[in-house]
Amino acid sequence: MFGYNMKLAVTSMRRNPIMTTLMVAAIAIGIGVSMTTLTVYYLMASNPIPEKSEVLFAITLDSWDPLRPFDDDYPERAPHQLTFGDAERLLQLGKGKRQTAMFESSLIIEPTNDGGLPFEATSRVATADFFEMFNVPFLHGGGWGEAADDAMEPVVVLTRQLNERLFGGENSVGRQLSMDGMLFRVVGITDTWEPTPRYFDPINGGFQNVNEMFIPFSLTRVLELGSIGSDWGWKAESNNSFEQWLNSEAVWIQYFVELVSSGERSEYVAHLDAYVNEQKRLGRFARPLNNSIHNVMEWMEYHAVVADDYRVLVGLSFLFLLVCVLSTIALTLTKFIGRKGEISLRRALGASRTTIFKQQLVEVGAIGFTGGLIGLCLAGLGLQGIKILNDAPDGLVTLDWVMVLVAIIVAIVSSVVAGIYPAWRVCQIPPAAQLKTQ
Amino acid sequence: MGIRPMLSSLIRNKTGPLLVALQIAVTLAIVINSLFIVVQRIETMNRDSGIDVDNVVVIDVRGFGEGFNVVDSIANDIDLISAIPGVIAATVSNHAPLTGSGSGTGLRSVPDETIDAIPAGRYQWSEKGLDALGVRLSRGRNFYPEEVNFVLPETDNGTPPSVLVTQQLADELFPDDDALGKPVYWGNMELSTIVGIIEHMHGSWVSWDNLGNVVIQPGKPAFINNRYIARVDPGRRDEIMPIIEQRLGESNLMRVVKDVRSLEEMAANSYRRDRSMAIVLATVITLLVGLTALVIVGLASFNVTQRTKQIGTRRALGARRIDIVRQFMLENWLITTTGAALGIVLTAVVAYWLETAFALPRLDWRYLPVGIVSLWVLSTLAVIEPARRAASVPPAVATRSV
Repeated sequence: MFGYNMKLAVTSMRRNPIMTTLMVAAIAIGIGVSMTTLTVYYLMASNPIPEKSEVLFAITLDSWDPLRPFDDDYPERAPHQLTFGDAERLLQLGKGKRQTAMFESSLIIEPTNDGGLPFEATSRVATADFFEMFNVPFLHGGGWGEAADDAMEPVVVLTRQLNERLFGGENSVGRQLSMDGMLFRVVGITDTWEPTPRYFDPINGGFQNVNEMFIPFSLTRVLELGSIGSDWGWKAESNNSFEQWLNSEAVWIQYFVELVSSGERSEYVAHLDAYVNEQKRLGRFARPLNNSIHNVMEWMEYHAVVADDYRVLVGLSFLFLLVCVLSTIALTLTKFIGRKGEISLRRALGASRTTIFKQQLVEVGAIGFTGGLIGLCLAGLGLQGIKILNDAPDGLVTLDWVMVLVAIIVAIVSSVVAGIYPAWRVCQIPPAAQLKTQ
Repeated sequence: MGIRPMLSSLIRNKTGPLLVALQIAVTLAIVINSLFIVVQRIETMNRDSGIDVDNVVVIDVRGFGEGFNVVDSIANDIDLISAIPGVIAATVSNHAPLTGSGSGTGLRSVPDETIDAIPAGRYQWSEKGLDALGVRLSRGRNFYPEEVNFVLPETDNGTPPSVLVTQQLADELFPDDDALGKPVYWGNMELSTIVGIIEHMHGSWVSWDNLGNVVIQPGKPAFINNRYIARVDPGRRDEIMPIIEQRLGESNLMRVVKDVRSLEEMAANSYRRDRSMAIVLATVITLLVGLTALVIVGLASFNVTQRTKQIGTRRALGARRIDIVRQFMLENWLITTTGAALGIVLTAVVAYWLETAFALPRLDWRYLPVGIVSLWVLSTLAVIEPARRAASVPPAVATRSV
């Protein structure tokens, strides 16, 4: 029966090629546009580390100006980064299952081969726990141990790309590397790792590439590492030495902690409060107590990682899909009504209403499926366009199987929805009425 | 045929036309709201920055290794860049405007910590800075060369006594007074005197509310990373950029030339989100308008084929060709107008949603009449060809049996 319905559908489509093309085009464009924007939104808003997003927390302490809040638009918010001193002291106190303080810096790498020119590479400066906390995949070796943090050992973890550039991609664990005049030992090479969004640092851009390498936080003093990320200050302090800068009230360190149970969480917040109260006695933290921890998704919401523009685009493109569905209904209706004669004839020859109804639905379903497939190709093109426009990392613009499935389902559902009313109308045609006038 | 029989025919078969009207309404709502956003973004991108963006080059360098002398290096680099034929002026600066990388500060007209400071972008450059960006001083004077000193890290460099401010910042600091010659106070309550007023200039962060608030201190920042700004003769930028890169690279092996980029490219990068939004929405508008027009054409053509007999009958009964054309145009006009009326309501709903949910600017109502008139024109154009085909149906068709 399905085969027969299919044959009838094809015959009917061929009889009105323009109408059929228009219907397919309407569905295809609707799916193409809405799936493009939905995919971008879905990837931006997706949970980048579902297995751990509930146990990783960014912490904020209100060390800001006694006279005014950090952010006038959100006066309840503490600064989103810590001072170097607070980060260092909290690291020493530990308390979480794992914790890391971090910032972005850049170093000059001296060439490993003759004739190469020195170049600058960006580094995330973090502690040993970073790799375990954020599930960093390794190609060779691994992160460094806590002992390396304590001993201020010059060790480095390279990304696959930087290892490619420096050592031609071979296993370089144990090799030496001269950076900023210091000899580093390579301890690990990460595998491709492009968390999208870059949830552990939405402050300096949620959709940027991961830094090119990782070095221990304890080297900050030794190498006098400056931050290439943002820093914020409120206090008029004269920072005439690196030591003064590290001791200043400027906030520029991001701090994450891993807390598994809710008991650990409340304990940790109590620990933060105790720490700040102690600092208050030293004359710091003049604002009311305002310490909080934010899990991964909360942290992304906090920093509005998904720009409103993308929500606007999703909304508008689904209105667009509505236009396409309306077009399809109007086209289908007109076409079916135009076939009154044929339907009457089939009804007169004994076809039941259900048979006619089914046959019409097979026809619109086929149109929806074809439109959906073409729409998917259009969405692929659209995503390439978005990628070029935004200079976005690859992770942001790939259609995964979830989106392909969603697209096909949306296409078929919208075309069947578009077909039901016209099909029902057609079934109401009495068998003889049309034949009479012929 | 008057409007009444046509109306009754439309009402009898109301679902089809109503759907088209609905489609037109949603199309109108999307197109008007999208177009408004597109125009806004284009206006944002085309704002006058007060800077000669097209002819400015930004150079990032970084020294390394033992024995690197940052002061000598900067002095030599600036001399070298200035000596290249076609370079108008060059300076070292803490940041370059429009690039997204900058420094912000707060200034007050009185030394009182309890009043809110006026936020401003802060730059520090030499007496060549204004010329290196092509920024115009409207009143007062530029820095004297003797006011410009190297600013070294880990040294108490003091607060330079002179500053330049933009007119916009001057007006915010001194709403009732002339700012020229007045003192302004920094966060540490040290003061500087306004010696010159810049007519207009944008700072670093293009989406910041205080983009036009800029204060400039005299000085040559000499940190590890250094940024140079140079302006070249109009039209020669792309020819001079590689020369700068090559000469700098050869002259000093103790510093890396990280990047030589045009300010135009960097500014375009800062406006990337606006541009991308404008292009995506413009594409949506084009596809939508095209689709709606095609659907109108398709439906009208189909109707003509379906109603060949009816048209033939009317022609046989004495209707002229023009009457047939009029019938189709009028029918189409009725549908479009119904759609437009519905569309006004929908447009307002979408505009309200955008305004309240996303704090986008309120829709300019003048877009409505423009949109509606364009829609009328478009739907009329779409139906002309089918209507003409309808008019060419010969009267004799009516007498033939199908």
